[in-house]
Amino acid sequence: MQITFWGVRGSYPVPGAATVRYGGQTSCVEVRTAAGECVIVDAGTGMRQLGNKLAREANGQPSQYHVLLSHVHWDHIQGLPFFSPAYIPGTRISVYALLTAADELNQVIGGITRHEFFPMPLEAVPAAFDFHQVEPGVDFVVGGFHITPIALNHPFGSVGYRIDADGSSVAYVADTAPFDKVLHKQHFLAGPEPLSADDQVALTAMRDALVARLRGVDTVIYDTHFLPDEYERFPHYGHSTPDQALVICQEAGVRRLVLYHHAPGHSDEQMDQVAATYLAKGAAIGIEVLTSFEGMSLPIGAG
Amino acid sequence: MKIRFWGVRGSFAMSGRDFLRYGGNTCSVELLANDGHRLLVDLGTGATEFAKHLMGAEFGKGQGKLPILLTHTHLDHIQGLPFFTPFFIKGNEIRIMGADPISGLSLEATLQNQLAPHYSPLNGLENLAAGVTISSFVPGGTLNVPGFTVQTAAVPHGSMWTTAFRISADGKTVTFLSDVEYPSLDEPLPQALALAQDADLLIHDAMHSDLDYEMRRGWGHSPARAGVIVAERAHAKRLALFHHSPDATDDMIDEVVVRTSGETNVPVFAAAEGAYLDV
Repeated sequence: MQITFWGVRGSYPVPGAATVRYGGQTSCVEVRTAAGECVIVDAGTGMRQLGNKLAREANGQPSQYHVLLSHVHWDHIQGLPFFSPAYIPGTRISVYALLTAADELNQVIGGITRHEFFPMPLEAVPAAFDFHQVEPGVDFVVGGFHITPIALNHPFGSVGYRIDADGSSVAYVADTAPFDKVLHKQHFLAGPEPLSADDQVALTAMRDALVARLRGVDTVIYDTHFLPDEYERFPHYGHSTPDQALVICQEAGVRRLVLYHHAPGHSDEQMDQVAATYLAKGAAIGIEVLTSFEGMSLPIGAG
Repeated sequence: MKIRFWGVRGSFAMSGRDFLRYGGNTCSVELLANDGHRLLVDLGTGATEFAKHLMGAEFGKGQGKLPILLTHTHLDHIQGLPFFTPFFIKGNEIRIMGADPISGLSLEATLQNQLAPHYSPLNGLENLAAGVTISSFVPGGTLNVPGFTVQTAAVPHGSMWTTAFRISADGKTVTFLSDVEYPSLDEPLPQALALAQDADLLIHDAMHSDLDYEMRRGWGHSPARAGVIVAERAHAKRLALFHHSPDATDDMIDEVVVRTSGETNVPVFAAAEGAYLDV
Protein backbone atom coordinates (compact mmCIF):
# COMPACT_ATOMS: atom_id res chain seq x y z
CA MET A 1 0.00 0.00 0.00
CA GLN A 2 0.90 3.61 -0.36
CA ILE A 3 -0.68 6.61 1.36
CA THR A 4 -0.59 10.22 0.14
CA PHE A 5 -1.55 13.26 2.20
CA TRP A 6 -3.58 15.85 0.23
CA GLY A 7 -4.66 17.92 3.22
CA VAL A 8 -3.11 17.77 6.72
CA ARG A 9 -4.67 20.79 8.41
CA GLY A 10 -7.52 20.85 10.92
CA SER A 11 -10.48 23.25 11.27
CA TYR A 12 -10.16 25.43 8.19
CA PRO A 13 -7.79 26.03 5.26
CA VAL A 14 -4.92 28.41 5.99
CA PRO A 15 -3.26 30.00 2.94
CA GLY A 16 -0.20 32.19 3.24
CA ALA A 17 3.54 32.34 3.68
CA ALA A 18 3.43 30.58 7.07
CA THR A 19 2.01 27.30 5.68
CA VAL A 20 3.87 26.87 2.39
CA ARG A 21 5.85 23.79 3.42
CA TYR A 22 3.38 21.78 5.53
CA GLY A 23 0.37 22.94 3.53
CA GLY A 24 -2.84 24.77 4.31
CA GLN A 25 -5.58 22.42 3.07
CA THR A 26 -7.80 20.36 5.38
CA SER A 27 -8.05 16.61 5.96
CA CYS A 28 -7.78 14.23 3.02
CA VAL A 29 -5.65 11.10 2.60
CA GLU A 30 -5.43 8.77 -0.41
CA VAL A 31 -4.78 5.08 0.28
CA ARG A 32 -3.73 2.96 -2.70
CA THR A 33 -2.90 -0.72 -3.14
CA ALA A 34 -0.03 -2.00 -5.27
CA ALA A 35 -2.65 -2.95 -7.89
CA GLY A 36 -3.90 0.65 -8.00
CA GLU A 37 -7.14 0.31 -6.04
CA CYS A 38 -7.93 3.40 -3.99
CA VAL A 39 -9.92 4.62 -1.01
CA ILE A 40 -10.04 8.26 0.03
CA VAL A 41 -10.23 9.03 3.74
CA ASP A 42 -12.00 12.30 4.49
CA ALA A 43 -13.12 14.92 2.05
CA GLY A 44 -11.56 18.13 3.37
CA THR A 45 -10.26 20.84 1.08
CA GLY A 46 -7.25 18.70 0.12
CA MET A 47 -9.69 16.65 -1.92
CA ARG A 48 -9.81 19.29 -4.64
CA GLN A 49 -6.20 18.71 -5.65
CA LEU A 50 -6.57 14.94 -5.36
CA GLY A 51 -9.66 15.15 -7.58
CA ASN A 52 -7.76 17.13 -10.19
CA LYS A 53 -5.09 14.40 -10.28
CA LEU A 54 -7.65 11.59 -10.46
CA ALA A 55 -9.60 13.37 -13.22
CA ARG A 56 -6.40 13.70 -15.27
CA GLU A 57 -5.70 9.99 -14.77
CA ALA A 58 -9.31 9.15 -15.71
CA ASN A 59 -8.96 11.19 -18.89
CA GLY A 60 -12.69 11.84 -19.15
CA GLN A 61 -13.66 8.24 -18.41
CA PRO A 62 -16.05 7.56 -15.52
CA SER A 63 -14.78 5.57 -12.57
CA GLN A 64 -15.85 4.55 -9.08
CA TYR A 65 -14.49 6.27 -5.97
CA HIS A 66 -14.83 5.25 -2.33
CA VAL A 67 -14.76 7.95 0.34
CA LEU A 68 -14.51 7.02 4.03
CA LEU A 69 -15.57 9.90 6.27
CA SER A 70 -14.43 10.12 9.89
CA HIS A 71 -17.27 12.58 10.56
CA VAL A 72 -18.95 15.42 8.75
CA HIS A 73 -17.54 18.60 10.29
CA TRP A 74 -16.82 21.15 7.57
CA ASP A 75 -13.06 20.57 7.51
CA HIS A 76 -13.70 16.92 6.57
CA ILE A 77 -16.33 17.39 3.83
CA GLN A 78 -15.74 20.80 2.28
CA GLY A 79 -13.70 19.44 -0.63
CA LEU A 80 -16.43 17.15 -1.88
CA PRO A 81 -18.23 19.71 -4.10
CA PHE A 82 -14.84 20.56 -5.66
CA PHE A 83 -13.89 16.94 -6.46
CA SER A 84 -13.68 17.21 -10.23
CA PRO A 85 -14.31 13.51 -11.10
CA ALA A 86 -17.85 14.11 -9.70
CA TYR A 87 -18.53 16.15 -12.84
CA ILE A 88 -17.70 13.29 -15.24
CA PRO A 89 -21.01 11.62 -16.19
CA GLY A 90 -21.12 7.95 -15.22
CA THR A 91 -18.86 8.41 -12.19
CA ARG A 92 -20.01 6.67 -9.03
CA ILE A 93 -19.03 7.94 -5.59
CA SER A 94 -19.65 5.74 -2.56
CA VAL A 95 -19.56 7.59 0.73
CA TYR A 96 -19.14 5.75 4.05
CA ALA A 97 -19.81 7.48 7.36
CA LEU A 98 -20.92 7.10 10.91
CA LEU A 99 -24.55 8.09 11.15
CA THR A 100 -27.76 6.64 12.43
CA ALA A 101 -29.24 6.22 8.98
CA ALA A 102 -27.82 6.29 5.49
CA ASP A 103 -30.76 8.46 4.46
CA GLU A 104 -29.79 11.06 7.01
CA LEU A 105 -26.24 10.93 5.65
CA ASN A 106 -27.62 11.71 2.22
CA GLN A 107 -29.35 14.75 3.75
CA VAL A 108 -26.16 15.94 5.40
CA ILE A 109 -23.98 15.54 2.33
CA GLY A 110 -26.77 16.90 0.16
CA GLY A 111 -26.93 19.86 2.53
CA ILE A 112 -23.42 21.02 1.53
CA THR A 113 -24.54 21.50 -2.02
CA ARG A 114 -27.89 22.99 -1.17
CA HIS A 115 -28.46 26.28 -2.83
CA GLU A 116 -27.36 28.36 0.12
CA PHE A 117 -23.84 26.94 0.31
CA PHE A 118 -22.89 25.86 -3.21
CA PRO A 119 -24.24 26.64 -6.68
CA MET A 120 -25.13 23.10 -7.72
CA PRO A 121 -27.49 20.80 -5.78
CA LEU A 122 -26.26 17.24 -5.23
CA GLU A 123 -28.96 15.82 -7.53
CA ALA A 124 -27.61 17.93 -10.39
CA VAL A 125 -24.02 16.71 -10.01
CA PRO A 126 -23.38 14.22 -12.85
CA ALA A 127 -21.85 11.53 -10.59
CA ALA A 128 -24.17 9.06 -8.87
CA PHE A 129 -23.75 8.97 -5.10
CA ASP A 130 -24.51 6.13 -2.74
CA PHE A 131 -24.27 6.35 1.02
CA HIS A 132 -23.30 3.67 3.51
CA GLN A 133 -23.55 3.79 7.24
CA VAL A 134 -20.56 2.40 9.13
CA GLU A 135 -20.70 1.02 12.65
CA PRO A 136 -17.73 0.56 14.97
CA GLY A 137 -17.25 -3.17 15.43
CA VAL A 138 -18.72 -4.07 12.04
CA ASP A 139 -15.94 -4.59 9.52
CA PHE A 140 -16.57 -4.23 5.80
CA VAL A 141 -14.80 -4.81 2.52
CA VAL A 142 -14.24 -2.33 -0.30
CA GLY A 143 -12.54 -4.04 -3.25
CA GLY A 144 -9.22 -5.31 -1.96
CA PHE A 145 -9.43 -3.33 1.29
CA HIS A 146 -10.58 -4.78 4.61
CA ILE A 147 -11.87 -1.90 6.72
CA THR A 148 -12.37 -1.80 10.48
CA PRO A 149 -14.25 1.22 11.84
CA ILE A 150 -13.16 2.36 15.31
CA ALA A 151 -15.24 4.64 17.59
CA LEU A 152 -13.46 7.87 18.56
CA ASN A 153 -14.07 10.63 21.10
CA HIS A 154 -15.23 13.78 19.30
CA PRO A 155 -18.28 16.09 19.49
CA PHE A 156 -21.31 14.23 18.06
CA GLY A 157 -19.14 11.20 17.28
CA SER A 158 -16.33 10.36 14.93
CA VAL A 159 -14.94 7.13 13.57
CA GLY A 160 -11.39 6.05 12.76
CA TYR A 161 -10.51 3.38 10.23
CA ARG A 162 -8.02 0.54 10.23
CA ILE A 163 -7.38 -0.33 6.59
CA ASP A 164 -5.76 -3.66 5.66
CA ALA A 165 -4.62 -4.52 2.12
CA ASP A 166 -1.61 -6.06 0.39
CA GLY A 167 -0.69 -7.79 3.65
CA SER A 168 -0.10 -4.48 5.42
CA SER A 169 -2.19 -2.02 7.36
CA VAL A 170 -2.64 1.66 8.11
CA ALA A 171 -4.96 3.29 10.65
CA TYR A 172 -6.56 6.72 10.42
CA VAL A 173 -7.33 8.02 13.92
CA ALA A 174 -8.92 11.47 13.53
CA ASP A 175 -10.62 13.40 14.92
CA THR A 176 -10.35 12.38 18.53
CA ALA A 177 -9.81 13.74 22.01
CA PRO A 178 -7.91 11.56 24.49
CA PHE A 179 -9.95 9.25 26.69
CA ASP A 180 -9.64 10.73 30.15
CA LYS A 181 -10.98 14.24 30.85
CA VAL A 182 -13.95 14.59 28.52
CA LEU A 183 -16.50 12.22 27.00
CA HIS A 184 -17.99 13.80 23.91
CA LYS A 185 -21.70 13.25 23.44
CA GLN A 186 -24.51 14.73 21.42
CA HIS A 187 -24.52 18.21 22.92
CA PHE A 188 -22.50 21.41 22.91
CA LEU A 189 -19.70 21.62 25.47
CA ALA A 190 -18.78 25.10 26.70
CA GLY A 191 -16.11 23.41 28.82
CA PRO A 192 -15.27 20.05 30.40
CA GLU A 193 -18.21 18.52 32.31
CA PRO A 194 -17.89 16.23 35.36
CA LEU A 195 -17.63 12.57 34.35
CA SER A 196 -20.15 10.06 35.74
CA ALA A 197 -19.15 6.48 36.55
CA ASP A 198 -20.83 5.42 33.27
CA ASP A 199 -18.83 8.05 31.38
CA GLN A 200 -15.60 6.65 32.85
CA VAL A 201 -16.60 3.15 31.77
CA ALA A 202 -17.45 4.38 28.26
CA LEU A 203 -14.12 6.19 27.90
CA THR A 204 -12.14 3.17 29.09
CA ALA A 205 -14.03 0.90 26.70
CA MET A 206 -13.43 3.25 23.77
CA ARG A 207 -9.74 3.51 24.57
CA ASP A 208 -9.33 -0.26 25.02
CA ALA A 209 -11.06 -0.95 21.71
CA LEU A 210 -8.83 1.59 19.92
CA VAL A 211 -5.65 0.07 21.36
CA ALA A 212 -6.85 -3.44 20.46
CA ARG A 213 -7.62 -2.48 16.84
CA LEU A 214 -4.28 -0.70 16.42
CA ARG A 215 -2.31 -3.82 17.40
CA GLY A 216 -0.18 -4.97 14.48
CA VAL A 217 -0.85 -1.85 12.38
CA ASP A 218 2.18 -0.70 10.38
CA THR A 219 1.46 3.03 10.43
CA VAL A 220 -0.97 5.10 12.50
CA ILE A 221 -2.14 8.55 11.34
CA TYR A 222 -3.33 10.40 14.46
CA ASP A 223 -5.14 13.67 15.25
CA THR A 224 -2.40 15.68 16.99
CA HIS A 225 -4.01 19.09 16.54
CA PHE A 226 -2.79 20.48 19.85
CA LEU A 227 0.48 21.10 21.58
CA PRO A 228 0.27 20.17 25.29
CA ASP A 229 -0.32 23.73 26.56
CA GLU A 230 -3.04 24.30 23.96
CA TYR A 231 -4.76 21.08 24.98
CA GLU A 232 -4.82 22.20 28.61
CA ARG A 233 -6.73 25.32 27.57
CA PHE A 234 -9.16 23.54 25.22
CA PRO A 235 -9.60 19.93 26.45
CA HIS A 236 -13.25 19.99 25.31
CA TYR A 237 -12.48 20.75 21.64
CA GLY A 238 -12.14 17.10 20.71
CA HIS A 239 -8.47 16.88 19.68
CA SER A 240 -5.28 15.25 20.98
CA THR A 241 -1.59 16.03 21.37
CA PRO A 242 1.37 14.08 19.95
CA ASP A 243 2.21 12.90 23.49
CA GLN A 244 -1.25 11.36 23.87
CA ALA A 245 -0.88 9.69 20.45
CA LEU A 246 2.51 8.27 21.46
CA VAL A 247 1.04 6.68 24.61
CA ILE A 248 -1.69 4.95 22.59
CA CYS A 249 0.78 3.78 19.94
CA GLN A 250 3.21 2.48 22.54
CA GLU A 251 0.50 0.44 24.24
CA ALA A 252 -0.63 -0.98 20.90
CA GLY A 253 2.94 -1.86 19.89
CA VAL A 254 2.77 0.42 16.84
CA ARG A 255 6.17 1.31 15.34
CA ARG A 256 5.29 4.28 13.13
CA LEU A 257 3.12 7.31 13.98
CA VAL A 258 2.21 10.14 11.60
CA LEU A 259 1.21 13.46 13.20
CA TYR A 260 -1.82 14.88 11.40
CA HIS A 261 -4.66 17.48 11.56
CA HIS A 262 -2.31 20.33 12.46
CA ALA A 263 -3.91 23.36 14.14
CA PRO A 264 -4.53 26.16 11.63
CA GLY A 265 -2.40 28.58 13.68
CA HIS A 266 0.74 26.41 13.60
CA SER A 267 3.30 27.94 11.24
CA ASP A 268 5.90 25.97 9.29
CA GLU A 269 8.52 26.99 11.87
CA GLN A 270 6.38 25.68 14.72
CA MET A 271 5.73 22.48 12.80
CA ASP A 272 9.48 22.03 12.28
CA GLN A 273 9.88 22.21 16.06
CA VAL A 274 7.00 19.78 16.63
CA ALA A 275 8.55 17.40 14.09
CA ALA A 276 12.00 17.53 15.73
CA THR A 277 10.66 17.26 19.29
CA TYR A 278 8.49 14.23 18.62
CA LEU A 279 10.97 12.51 16.32
CA ALA A 280 13.27 12.43 19.35
CA LYS A 281 10.54 11.51 21.86
CA GLY A 282 9.36 8.70 19.59
CA ALA A 283 12.87 7.39 18.94
CA ALA A 284 13.39 7.08 22.70
CA ILE A 285 10.56 4.52 22.88
CA GLY A 286 11.12 2.82 19.53
CA ILE A 287 8.45 4.65 17.53
CA GLU A 288 9.28 6.41 14.27
CA VAL A 289 7.36 9.71 14.33
CA LEU A 290 6.72 11.51 11.05
CA THR A 291 4.97 14.86 10.70
CA SER A 292 2.63 14.89 7.73
CA PHE A 293 2.82 17.61 5.10
CA GLU A 294 0.77 18.17 1.97
CA GLY A 295 2.05 15.95 -0.82
CA MET A 296 3.82 13.46 1.47
CA SER A 297 3.64 9.87 0.20
CA LEU A 298 4.55 6.88 2.36
CA PRO A 299 4.88 3.24 1.46
CA ILE A 300 3.05 1.04 4.00
CA GLY A 301 4.49 -2.39 4.79
CA ALA A 302 6.40 -4.27 2.14
CA GLY A 303 4.09 -3.76 -0.84
CA MET B 1 -11.93 55.88 4.44
CA LYS B 2 -9.45 53.01 4.15
CA ILE B 3 -9.92 49.52 2.80
CA ARG B 4 -8.13 46.27 3.58
CA PHE B 5 -8.53 43.07 1.62
CA TRP B 6 -8.33 40.08 4.02
CA GLY B 7 -9.46 37.56 1.40
CA VAL B 8 -9.64 38.04 -2.38
CA ARG B 9 -9.95 34.46 -3.66
CA GLY B 10 -13.17 33.06 -5.10
CA SER B 11 -14.68 29.60 -4.62
CA PHE B 12 -11.84 27.90 -2.78
CA ALA B 13 -9.01 28.87 -0.42
CA MET B 14 -5.61 28.22 -2.02
CA SER B 15 -2.43 27.62 -0.06
CA GLY B 16 1.10 27.30 -1.41
CA ARG B 17 3.85 29.25 -3.10
CA ASP B 18 1.86 30.20 -6.18
CA PHE B 19 -0.66 32.23 -4.20
CA LEU B 20 1.48 34.30 -1.83
CA ARG B 21 1.46 37.75 -3.42
CA TYR B 22 -2.30 38.11 -3.99
CA GLY B 23 -3.25 35.70 -1.20
CA GLY B 24 -5.27 32.50 -1.06
CA ASN B 25 -7.98 33.35 1.47
CA THR B 26 -11.60 33.52 0.34
CA CYS B 27 -13.63 36.73 0.31
CA SER B 28 -13.50 39.15 3.21
CA VAL B 29 -13.00 42.93 2.94
CA GLU B 30 -12.77 45.53 5.71
CA LEU B 31 -13.71 49.20 5.40
CA LEU B 32 -12.40 51.60 8.02
CA ALA B 33 -13.80 55.13 8.34
CA ASN B 34 -11.58 57.99 9.54
CA ASP B 35 -13.52 58.13 12.83
CA GLY B 36 -12.70 54.46 13.55
CA HIS B 37 -15.99 52.84 12.50
CA ARG B 38 -15.44 49.49 10.83
CA LEU B 39 -17.51 47.44 8.42
CA LEU B 40 -16.78 43.96 7.08
CA VAL B 41 -18.06 42.56 3.81
CA ASP B 42 -18.26 38.73 3.78
CA LEU B 43 -16.89 36.03 6.06
CA GLY B 44 -14.66 33.90 3.84
CA THR B 45 -11.45 32.44 5.31
CA GLY B 46 -9.88 35.93 5.16
CA ALA B 47 -12.15 36.83 8.08
CA THR B 48 -10.13 34.49 10.33
CA GLU B 49 -7.07 36.70 9.80
CA PHE B 50 -9.13 39.85 10.35
CA ALA B 51 -10.38 38.23 13.57
CA LYS B 52 -6.82 37.90 14.92
CA HIS B 53 -6.29 41.59 14.16
CA LEU B 54 -9.51 42.54 16.01
CA MET B 55 -8.74 40.36 19.04
CA GLY B 56 -5.61 42.43 19.69
CA ALA B 57 -7.86 45.45 20.31
CA GLU B 58 -11.26 46.03 21.92
CA PHE B 59 -12.75 42.77 20.60
CA GLY B 60 -10.36 40.76 22.78
CA LYS B 61 -11.87 42.52 25.81
CA GLY B 62 -15.47 42.02 24.73
CA GLN B 63 -15.96 45.68 23.89
CA GLY B 64 -16.08 45.51 20.10
CA LYS B 65 -18.93 46.39 17.78
CA LEU B 66 -18.95 45.26 14.18
CA PRO B 67 -21.47 45.26 11.36
CA ILE B 68 -20.95 42.52 8.76
CA LEU B 69 -22.58 42.59 5.32
CA LEU B 70 -23.00 39.33 3.42
CA THR B 71 -23.22 39.29 -0.36
CA HIS B 72 -24.68 35.76 -0.23
CA THR B 73 -24.20 32.46 1.60
CA HIS B 74 -22.08 30.36 -0.75
CA LEU B 75 -19.36 28.74 1.36
CA ASP B 76 -16.49 30.90 0.13
CA HIS B 77 -18.31 33.91 1.64
CA ILE B 78 -19.21 32.37 5.02
CA GLN B 79 -16.67 29.61 5.74
CA GLY B 80 -14.77 31.83 8.19
CA LEU B 81 -17.85 32.32 10.38
CA PRO B 82 -17.29 29.36 12.74
CA PHE B 83 -13.69 30.53 13.31
CA PHE B 84 -14.30 34.27 13.70
CA THR B 85 -12.96 34.54 17.25
CA PRO B 86 -14.75 37.80 18.27
CA PHE B 87 -17.94 35.66 18.27
CA PHE B 88 -16.55 33.73 21.23
CA ILE B 89 -16.00 36.74 23.52
CA LYS B 90 -18.94 37.82 25.65
CA GLY B 91 -19.73 41.49 25.29
CA ASN B 92 -18.87 41.94 21.63
CA GLU B 93 -21.83 43.08 19.57
CA ILE B 94 -21.85 41.80 16.02
CA ARG B 95 -24.62 42.35 13.54
CA ILE B 96 -24.75 40.26 10.37
CA MET B 97 -26.88 41.65 7.57
CA GLY B 98 -27.77 40.01 4.29
CA ALA B 99 -30.58 39.08 1.96
CA ASP B 100 -32.55 35.86 2.48
CA PRO B 101 -31.43 33.18 0.00
CA ILE B 102 -33.91 32.36 -2.74
CA SER B 103 -34.34 28.83 -1.33
CA GLY B 104 -37.04 30.15 0.98
CA LEU B 105 -34.95 29.73 4.14
CA SER B 106 -34.16 32.92 6.04
CA LEU B 107 -30.58 34.15 6.32
CA GLU B 108 -30.63 33.24 10.01
CA ALA B 109 -31.86 29.70 9.33
CA THR B 110 -29.19 29.27 6.67
CA LEU B 111 -26.42 30.29 9.05
CA GLN B 112 -27.96 28.03 11.72
CA ASN B 113 -27.63 25.19 9.20
CA GLN B 114 -23.95 26.03 8.74
CA LEU B 115 -23.48 25.54 12.49
CA ALA B 116 -25.74 22.48 12.74
CA PRO B 117 -24.23 19.74 14.93
CA HIS B 118 -23.35 17.55 11.96
CA TYR B 119 -21.17 20.29 10.48
CA SER B 120 -19.82 22.19 13.46
CA PRO B 121 -19.18 21.52 17.15
CA LEU B 122 -20.56 25.03 17.82
CA ASN B 123 -24.01 23.46 17.39
CA GLY B 124 -25.91 26.65 16.68
CA LEU B 125 -25.69 30.42 16.73
CA GLU B 126 -27.03 30.48 20.29
CA ASN B 127 -23.69 29.07 21.51
CA LEU B 128 -21.71 32.06 20.27
CA ALA B 129 -20.85 33.97 23.45
CA ALA B 130 -20.92 37.41 21.81
CA GLY B 131 -24.17 39.18 21.11
CA VAL B 132 -24.83 38.19 17.51
CA THR B 133 -27.87 39.49 15.67
CA ILE B 134 -28.78 38.42 12.18
CA SER B 135 -31.04 40.59 10.14
CA SER B 136 -32.37 40.09 6.64
CA PHE B 137 -33.00 42.94 4.25
CA VAL B 138 -34.53 43.17 0.82
CA PRO B 139 -31.88 44.48 -1.59
CA GLY B 140 -32.66 47.75 -3.34
CA GLY B 141 -32.69 50.07 -0.35
CA THR B 142 -30.23 51.61 2.06
CA LEU B 143 -28.92 50.09 5.29
CA ASN B 144 -28.43 51.76 8.61
CA VAL B 145 -24.78 51.08 9.44
CA PRO B 146 -23.09 53.40 11.96
CA GLY B 147 -20.43 55.53 10.31
CA PHE B 148 -21.28 54.53 6.72
CA THR B 149 -23.92 55.08 4.08
CA VAL B 150 -24.75 51.77 2.42
CA GLN B 151 -26.90 51.29 -0.65
CA THR B 152 -27.78 47.80 -1.86
CA ALA B 153 -28.95 46.12 -5.05
CA ALA B 154 -29.58 42.54 -6.13
CA VAL B 155 -27.44 41.37 -9.06
CA PRO B 156 -27.58 38.03 -10.91
CA HIS B 157 -25.19 35.23 -9.92
CA GLY B 158 -25.92 32.17 -12.04
CA SER B 159 -29.31 30.83 -11.04
CA MET B 160 -29.51 33.06 -7.96
CA TRP B 161 -28.88 36.63 -6.79
CA THR B 162 -26.20 38.24 -4.72
CA THR B 163 -26.25 41.63 -3.01
CA ALA B 164 -24.00 44.40 -4.32
CA PHE B 165 -23.08 47.35 -2.10
CA ARG B 166 -22.23 51.02 -2.50
CA ILE B 167 -20.49 52.08 0.70
CA SER B 168 -19.66 55.72 1.46
CA ALA B 169 -17.85 57.47 4.27
CA ASP B 170 -15.60 60.53 4.59
CA GLY B 171 -16.73 61.75 1.18
CA LYS B 172 -15.40 58.60 -0.52
CA THR B 173 -17.28 55.71 -2.11
CA VAL B 174 -16.43 52.03 -2.61
CA THR B 175 -18.67 49.82 -4.77
CA PHE B 176 -18.62 46.07 -4.19
CA LEU B 177 -19.83 43.99 -7.16
CA SER B 178 -18.95 40.32 -6.53
CA ASP B 179 -20.19 37.60 -7.35
CA VAL B 180 -21.95 38.73 -10.51
CA GLU B 181 -22.52 37.84 -14.14
CA TYR B 182 -24.59 40.12 -16.35
CA PRO B 183 -26.91 38.61 -18.98
CA SER B 184 -24.80 40.41 -21.59
CA LEU B 185 -21.19 41.40 -20.98
CA ASP B 186 -21.57 44.59 -23.01
CA GLU B 187 -24.76 45.67 -21.25
CA PRO B 188 -24.16 45.75 -17.49
CA LEU B 189 -27.42 45.99 -15.57
CA PRO B 190 -28.65 49.48 -14.61
CA GLN B 191 -28.62 48.69 -10.88
CA ALA B 192 -24.92 47.79 -11.12
CA LEU B 193 -24.12 51.00 -13.00
CA ALA B 194 -26.10 53.06 -10.50
CA LEU B 195 -24.18 51.61 -7.54
CA ALA B 196 -20.84 52.23 -9.28
CA GLN B 197 -21.61 55.77 -10.49
CA ASP B 198 -18.57 58.02 -9.81
CA ALA B 199 -17.23 55.56 -7.21
CA ASP B 200 -13.70 56.17 -6.02
CA LEU B 201 -13.07 52.43 -6.08
CA LEU B 202 -15.01 49.72 -7.90
CA ILE B 203 -14.32 46.17 -6.65
CA HIS B 204 -15.54 43.77 -9.33
CA ASP B 205 -15.78 40.02 -9.85
CA ALA B 206 -12.96 38.97 -12.19
CA MET B 207 -13.03 35.21 -11.65
CA HIS B 208 -12.50 34.21 -15.25
CA SER B 209 -9.85 34.92 -17.81
CA ASP B 210 -11.40 35.95 -21.13
CA LEU B 211 -10.62 32.47 -22.49
CA ASP B 212 -12.21 30.61 -19.56
CA TYR B 213 -15.25 32.82 -19.74
CA GLU B 214 -16.22 31.45 -23.12
CA MET B 215 -16.45 27.98 -21.56
CA ARG B 216 -18.10 29.10 -18.33
CA ARG B 217 -20.85 31.48 -19.38
CA GLY B 218 -23.84 31.18 -17.12
CA TRP B 219 -21.82 29.98 -14.10
CA GLY B 220 -22.39 33.31 -12.35
CA HIS B 221 -18.99 35.00 -12.60
CA SER B 222 -17.39 37.66 -14.77
CA PRO B 223 -14.18 38.11 -16.69
CA ALA B 224 -12.03 41.20 -15.94
CA ARG B 225 -13.55 42.91 -18.98
CA ALA B 226 -16.97 43.14 -17.26
CA GLY B 227 -15.47 45.30 -14.50
CA VAL B 228 -13.82 47.54 -17.10
CA ILE B 229 -17.12 48.10 -18.87
CA VAL B 230 -18.91 48.98 -15.61
CA ALA B 231 -16.07 51.26 -14.47
CA GLU B 232 -15.99 53.15 -17.78
CA ARG B 233 -19.75 53.60 -18.10
CA ALA B 234 -20.19 54.58 -14.46
CA HIS B 235 -17.07 56.80 -14.40
CA ALA B 236 -15.52 54.91 -11.49
CA LYS B 237 -12.08 56.29 -10.66
CA ARG B 238 -10.30 53.01 -9.98
CA LEU B 239 -11.01 49.32 -10.59
CA ALA B 240 -9.95 46.45 -8.31
CA LEU B 241 -10.18 42.99 -9.86
CA PHE B 242 -11.52 40.62 -7.20
CA HIS B 243 -12.68 37.03 -6.55
CA HIS B 244 -9.65 35.55 -8.30
CA SER B 245 -10.03 31.99 -9.58
CA PRO B 246 -8.46 29.29 -7.41
CA ASP B 247 -6.58 28.23 -10.55
CA ALA B 248 -5.07 31.72 -11.04
CA THR B 249 -1.47 31.82 -9.78
CA ASP B 250 0.21 35.11 -8.86
CA ASP B 251 1.90 35.24 -12.27
CA MET B 252 -1.39 34.64 -14.08
CA ILE B 253 -3.06 37.47 -12.15
CA ASP B 254 -0.12 39.75 -13.02
CA GLU B 255 -0.78 39.05 -16.70
CA VAL B 256 -4.51 39.79 -16.36
CA VAL B 257 -3.69 43.15 -14.76
CA VAL B 258 -1.26 44.09 -17.53
CA ARG B 259 -3.67 43.05 -20.26
CA THR B 260 -6.68 44.71 -18.65
CA SER B 261 -4.78 47.94 -18.00
CA GLY B 262 -3.93 48.06 -21.69
CA GLU B 263 -7.61 48.04 -22.60
CA THR B 264 -8.82 51.02 -20.55
CA ASN B 265 -7.87 54.42 -19.17
CA VAL B 266 -9.32 53.50 -15.76
CA PRO B 267 -6.49 52.61 -13.36
CA VAL B 268 -6.70 48.85 -12.69
CA PHE B 269 -5.15 46.67 -9.98
CA ALA B 270 -5.79 43.19 -8.69
CA ALA B 271 -7.03 43.06 -5.10
CA ALA B 272 -4.43 41.50 -2.82
CA GLU B 273 -4.29 40.57 0.85
CA GLY B 274 -2.15 43.08 2.70
CA ALA B 275 -2.02 46.56 4.09
CA TYR B 276 -4.69 49.25 4.49
CA LEU B 277 -5.19 51.27 1.32
CA ASP B 278 -6.57 54.78 1.08
CA VAL B 279 -9.77 54.88 -0.97
